[in-house]
Amino acid sequence: MLHTMDDTTTADPPVTPVASLRGLRVSMARNGVRSTVIKGVDLDIRRGEILGLVGESGSGKSVLSLALLGLLPRASAPVVSGTLTVSGVDMAAGPEEERRLARGRDLGVVFQDPMTSLNPTMRIGDQVAEAAGSGAEAVRLMRAVGVPQPERRMRAYPHELSGGLRQRVMIAMAIAGGPKLVVADEPTTALDVTVQAQVLRVLRGLTDDLGCSVLMITHDLGVAGQITDRVAVMYAGRIAEVGPTAQVLERPRHPYTLGLLASRLGLTTERGAPLRTLADDAAPDAAPAEGDTGCAYRTRCPLAMPRCADELPPLGEAATAAPTAFPHRSACLLADEARQRLLGDAPAAEAAPEPVTEDVKGERAERAQPIVSTTELRCDFTVRDRRGRKATLAALRGVTLDVAAGESIALVGESGSGKSTLLRVIAGLETSFTGAVERPGRRLTQMVFQDAGASLTPWLTVRELLTERLTGLRLDRRARRGRAAEALRSVGLPEEALDARPAELSGGQRQRVALARATIVPPAVLLCDEPTSALDVSLAASVLNLINTLRRDLGMTVIFVTHDLSVARIVGDRIAVMYLGRLVETGAADEVIADPKHPYTRALISAVPGLGVTLPDIVGEPPSPIDPPGGCAYHPRCAVAREECATTLTGIQLVPIGPRPPRGSGEQRRGVACVHRGELR
Amino acid sequence: MTPRFLAARAASLLGLLLVLSLVLFVLQEISHTDAVAATLGANASPEAIAAERARLGLDDPAIDRYLDYLGGLVTGDLGTSFRTKHAVTEDIGTYFPATLELVLFSFASALALAVVFALTSVLRRRGAGVFRGLLFLASTAPTFLLGIFSLVVFYLQLGWLPGSGRLSGAHEADGPTGLLVVDGLLTGDPALSVDALEHLLLPGIALAVGPALAIGRVFRSSLLGTLDAEYVRTARSKGLTERRIVLRHVVRNSLNAALSMSGLQIGFMFAGVLVVESVFSWPGLGSYLGASIPVSDFPAVAGVTLVLGAIYIVANTAADVLQGMADPRVAR
Repeated sequence: MLHTMDDTTTADPPVTPVASLRGLRVSMARNGVRSTVIKGVDLDIRRGEILGLVGESGSGKSVLSLALLGLLPRASAPVVSGTLTVSGVDMAAGPEEERRLARGRDLGVVFQDPMTSLNPTMRIGDQVAEAAGSGAEAVRLMRAVGVPQPERRMRAYPHELSGGLRQRVMIAMAIAGGPKLVVADEPTTALDVTVQAQVLRVLRGLTDDLGCSVLMITHDLGVAGQITDRVAVMYAGRIAEVGPTAQVLERPRHPYTLGLLASRLGLTTERGAPLRTLADDAAPDAAPAEGDTGCAYRTRCPLAMPRCADELPPLGEAATAAPTAFPHRSACLLADEARQRLLGDAPAAEAAPEPVTEDVKGERAERAQPIVSTTELRCDFTVRDRRGRKATLAALRGVTLDVAAGESIALVGESGSGKSTLLRVIAGLETSFTGAVERPGRRLTQMVFQDAGASLTPWLTVRELLTERLTGLRLDRRARRGRAAEALRSVGLPEEALDARPAELSGGQRQRVALARATIVPPAVLLCDEPTSALDVSLAASVLNLINTLRRDLGMTVIFVTHDLSVARIVGDRIAVMYLGRLVETGAADEVIADPKHPYTRALISAVPGLGVTLPDIVGEPPSPIDPPGGCAYHPRCAVAREECATTLTGIQLVPIGPRPPRGSGEQRRGVACVHRGELR
Repeated sequence: MTPRFLAARAASLLGLLLVLSLVLFVLQEISHTDAVAATLGANASPEAIAAERARLGLDDPAIDRYLDYLGGLVTGDLGTSFRTKHAVTEDIGTYFPATLELVLFSFASALALAVVFALTSVLRRRGAGVFRGLLFLASTAPTFLLGIFSLVVFYLQLGWLPGSGRLSGAHEADGPTGLLVVDGLLTGDPALSVDALEHLLLPGIALAVGPALAIGRVFRSSLLGTLDAEYVRTARSKGLTERRIVLRHVVRNSLNAALSMSGLQIGFMFAGVLVVESVFSWPGLGSYLGASIPVSDFPAVAGVTLVLGAIYIVANTAADVLQGMADPRVAR
């Protein structure tokens, strides 16, 4: 790695970086097996910059952040070599006392889940004051990060705050004492989309107002594109590419970055065609073994050459690049050729299924009849509110929805919108509701959940999980085995996987097994509850492709719940946006995205992160479905609300707008629940 | 902690006490102890027996008798002992302080041992392993064996500590509380306290070892689990010292299971104390009960059972309330 170090020393600006990593290697033991998680990383974090660290799960980005903090879990017996200095303190090998003081003085940290990252039995004020030194300073910090009425919140416990407020409290603790570097590990991943935008604004403000640097770890290139100055892309413990954000995301030079960007969903991703994915998604075990000397990405790289197996590509600049303070480096032997070759050729994707929407449109005429239909569906739960009193949670507050046979509809909403409850009612899993629901019999509906790991019985083999659904079909052993193998093939898994148990499979493979299980007896309706939200981008893309293919091959109706509009746009012919138990807008996916009619849909769309997308100024968080606001539930956050919105009943029913679709086309008219009836500026 | 949480705990406490009284009443009904024969003797005339039955209300319907019984309990009337001819309440008043003092001392020792065991083990202090081993070894023996063993070693062989009773002959026990250590302090007689403590040591520790290990283990595993929690990582990222992290963030979040276990154990200790009392000739409820059972002195047995049961229930309620104080999410 010597040449890389030379590169760095000549090209870096003279200012001392806040953090400096040279030849950093970290190995950790898991279940008695030691593996190298960070395999030689050189990186500087400069004063006042936001550096994005992007990568898929297992790339080592979180381990890197814990190493920076000197907080690698003791249980996994970490071994660190190379140098790692944060504002002059050796965080790799320095005395523990020095590292501890550095954490308090120079470092701040924001973790992913603010609920589990705050002490549940300690008042917010005490927790912030512990970092800030005094109660008064704690109040000041909480006000600085936008916690309303901080004096009052001081006495609250974490469970009494909303997710967005909790994360602001975390940030307040992170900036206590004026740190030089704040490490933010996926700080918005657990938050709602509209809240994510707000928290990103706070983080962006840290560097602008306090001049501290931020290391922003994220799996989402869009988030990185939105707030970072520079981006480092990690793959298998090494940096694949690093440079100014705009350059890396607009003119990527590493095949991996190119692949990641291609598989990322945005609001402009082409619909109807299969999504691009990285090769070998389902089999990450194909990655090179410990001690391999070549490029780790070669097993998935469409441009891999024999040389790639022997030579570790240095992190280098393009030969033509002018010397700059912010070099754009890529660890690929092909250097800039990679980009040309990849974008010149047709990109390597999965065996391409034909476009989906065209086929389906032809059948529209036959499916005017709804297969699932709900009328004035209401669903209340009795729960305990944040203060422990009995309260009624109104999960659904009058949902009327028709889903035509063969149609695919995406239910979009944030937490508390009732989207999952609606799905559970349709699945027959939730029975305490009023109103009417018509659906095909239980055997004809199948459900796929977010966490495939938890929804597959751990002690059963894949074969048992699949054939379980064939009982009652009077098939003999061989026929059952055949059906199981066929179902696995249809989801892109080899027959050998039949004898595996869920724990032996990767997350993507488990989600495929869940899909195979749901479709081994083709259901009339496939219900999906965020099946891709826990997966890496490329895996998510391939699961979405799979759902679209299965839908086309089996002629299924799909009802897909998601919080992500770009996912909704890909899977749904139609999108239904939900807010606090009601539908606020429905319509063809393209139209809803291109021309949203409800202010809430507009806010949702503006909150979808992406490179060059300015952070929107969104007000408030989704309120609790316990005691939701009266009238139109969105009015407290709505920029165009009128006085009557607080009380009116006219704004809460979907009203048809726009042109009536031709008779017999099977298409449904757009609907919006707003006093403005879609007549927005 | 909300008033409604406290109200719910109080209601469940009363409910359990009611159930306990009902169980005792039913036991009394089906136990065929003959209160009349016990008072009048075997040779009483049928008329005298009938008169006595009427006087005692034994021919009334069961529900009336239960209500009478319950009324008696509320006013502190537990009946008259067949054996001592004293009111059971009075007898219990005589013997209970000795048992209470022993159990309180023993429970405090158990808590101290448990905390030392858990904290030294979690903070990886030296000697934690040895301490754990000793505690484990001691707790494998049944309490009576441990008691006899410690009597033989520390009293008979080494002669370090007294082996029976609550006091040496030199002292008189007539303080206000009946808890001799406390009385010694209250009446300005420290020698009395010291003497009482010396007598408490052997039976107290013998009784404490088992519960100490049970509570300590639960506490230790909660502590270890809590140390892995993400908010502990957050606390570390603030640059706090390990000591402060454990005391401020870890201990309180680990108390829950240990408190439940303590509530259970203090109940068990009141049962275990009966055995220890007989080994160390301790003049407490155990000795009283031991004398009452062979002569079928039902009022005495029922009275002691009621007191011990009530203590068990109150201890567990106290553990619940403490849990609510430690974790605001419980007390909702």
